[in-house]
Amino acid sequence: MSSRTTFEQLALPHLDAAHNLAYWLVRSRPDAEDIVQDAFVRAFRSFATFRGGDIKPWLFTIVRNVAYRWLAGRKRASNVVSIEEAFAPRAGDAVGEAFIASEEPSPEALLIGAQERARVLTALAGLAPAFREVLVLRELEELSYNEIADVIGAPVGTVMSRLSRARGELRTRLGALIEKEERDAM
Amino acid sequence: MQCDEAQALISASIDGEASDVSVGELRQHMAACPACAGVQSDFRRLSQQLKSAGREILPARVETRVRQALAQAEAEQRRALVRGKPWIRQLAAMAAVCLIAVFGTWTMTRYMDSESRIEQDVLSAHVRSLLQDSPIQVASGDPHSVKPWFNGRVEFAPEVKDPAAEGFPLAGARLDYIDGRRVAALVYKRRLHTVDVFVWPSAHAGDAAARLIPVKGYNLLTWTRNGLTYWAVSDLNGAELQQLQALL
Repeated sequence: MSSRTTFEQLALPHLDAAHNLAYWLVRSRPDAEDIVQDAFVRAFRSFATFRGGDIKPWLFTIVRNVAYRWLAGRKRASNVVSIEEAFAPRAGDAVGEAFIASEEPSPEALLIGAQERARVLTALAGLAPAFREVLVLRELEELSYNEIADVIGAPVGTVMSRLSRARGELRTRLGALIEKEERDAM
Repeated sequence: MQCDEAQALISASIDGEASDVSVGELRQHMAACPACAGVQSDFRRLSQQLKSAGREILPARVETRVRQALAQAEAEQRRALVRGKPWIRQLAAMAAVCLIAVFGTWTMTRYMDSESRIEQDVLSAHVRSLLQDSPIQVASGDPHSVKPWFNGRVEFAPEVKDPAAEGFPLAGARLDYIDGRRVAALVYKRRLHTVDVFVWPSAHAGDAAARLIPVKGYNLLTWTRNGLTYWAVSDLNGAELQQLQALL
């Protein structure tokens, strides 16, 4: 069995999760696809350094690295800002349909209600990447604090405080969104 | 317990990552702090909402793309295995050069050695035969008595001719020892000169044209014909030696 077959068998089941992490880090679907492809190729090339165990945290680390490099590149590129971009709403504004995660409602979305889902994802999108990633890794991927610590390369204590602050921030933003909706409704 | 400390514990306890002791302390704090109790229920709901929001939908094309990229990466890796290690090719080239050099030198020295050794042997045998009383074991000018004399003495039948009419009378024959083997030696006369013609089976297939090799004032002439190697040696001049070769 070739190493590629082994790698595909181990890694491809996590493609969905890896893509999700990439998406939430860069919040762009085309870029998330590029990043996840790049990350999987990199992971395959350094597959020899994978020391067994759960491949998921290892893959996430690589996806995260690629995504951050990409974000850094975008920051450099954005030093030259077009008029359109300059007047477009900033990521921090976190308002509008742009950040609604998917056009098609998932079964979960139907369950909790499209509006509620859209609201919580919009609030999540408004968070800083460091907060977004711990929330995604914890809530969507259900990684333990230890695994998250491995992925983001920080101590467990940092993971704990960062998650707490991320939740506090998310709570505030969600509250603000609801208030705004109520204001708009009036 | 402070409220910000409580918030971190609330978060950890929701994730099942807080110790029993701290969960107990947290419970005590929340009993007295409705704000933190509110935070806990908000955090629980947020966690629930995020979990049920689910992942970003993965388009099917992504897996196809990734598989293609992996196959390409694998192909590149294979090529790089050869291309990326130039020392392997250098090593192979060096080994090949060494092998050719060693083999070439070996065959050359072997060939040269046997060639010059034979020259030496032929000349020595000729000179030695002249130092003795007679260079001949069987004295006869008749090829039909000389040729049978070799029967049982050497493992081949040398061609014996008597070109007496052309001025090269056959004086006789003897056995000699050249290049580690027993060879036939035919002795011809030319005026006062003695010509030894050594004959033995050729090591190589095919005939070889005559080659004149002057050594220390003597002339050596060698050729191969019909599977037999001939070495004629004499103090006779080269032209006359070649004349004899044509007659034999």
